[in-house]
Amino acid sequence: MIKRLMTKYVPGMLTCEEVDSFLYDFHEGQLSNIEKVKFKLHLSMCAECRAYVRGYKNTIRISQAGFKKAEPIENIPEELLEVILKSRTKN
Amino acid sequence: MKKQTSAIVDDANEKKLIDGLLENDDLAYETLVRQYSTRMYAVARRFFNNDDDAQECLQKAFIQVFKNILSFKKDSSLMTWLHRITVNEALMMIRQKKRQKTMSLESFAQHYNVYGERTDFTNDEGGELGRFIENNIETLFEKNETKISLNEIIYQLPEKYCNVLLLRDIQEISTRETAELLAITETSVKTQLHRARLLLKAILEQHDKESLENNWKVN
Repeated sequence: MIKRLMTKYVPGMLTCEEVDSFLYDFHEGQLSNIEKVKFKLHLSMCAECRAYVRGYKNTIRISQAGFKKAEPIENIPEELLEVILKSRTKN
Repeated sequence: MKKQTSAIVDDANEKKLIDGLLENDDLAYETLVRQYSTRMYAVARRFFNNDDDAQECLQKAFIQVFKNILSFKKDSSLMTWLHRITVNEALMMIRQKKRQKTMSLESFAQHYNVYGERTDFTNDEGGELGRFIENNIETLFEKNETKISLNEIIYQLPEKYCNVLLLRDIQEISTRETAELLAITETSVKTQLHRARLLLKAILEQHDKESLENNWKVN
């Protein structure tokens, strides 16, 4: 209720929907200073959006960690290189 | 075993190498494969997280290189061209891996009440995203019983979201280059990436996220 009243009467106070539209740029560091202040002000008052933004960041972090853990091999197996080189003569 | 090197040739040698390739010189092709395969493999490996698929991707990428060498434009570096071909082959392989028909999420949108306050998508019985997750959740999480392969979840996202997520968040390719690779606008890259992240987030949260983090199979 407080959040709803703030949104209605405090100038510049973002709605959750507006927070969502800022989220991508916030994550990419592309919000202007004033937009950043508005974004953070809303988060300070809205537990749902805090959880939402945290989940968004975690999703990116987890997906990156999942794909990055494996170390690529240093040398490609010689047999594979031979197969690749042979595939050229077949074309 | 012949010595492999991942060192990339300098500009002068690259020009000589390209000339050799265009003249169908065997030694130039051998140099190309031996000197660039490690870096191309590293690109492929980031898409698949396993050696078998990455090796298959590398092989397919070189077949495309051999077929299309005459179309190589000297205004970009050889590695840039090889990188693009590897990325395209990886995306092609991932497309072929998709086991189910993914639905269009064109109308996908977050849900808010009349005050612009957030509502849970799962409470919206008519929501397209909610239906997508409900319909696919078993397929998405059936792998290895409790162990989840994150790769599989991402591969099963609708193609345009899968591609942009892999290129931007996993390969960390710039928005501009991603737009060029996928032949879409930079604005579309941003929109689709945001939606892809939200969709992935929703899918992960549908499952017990805490157990996911503990159980994820990371190859």
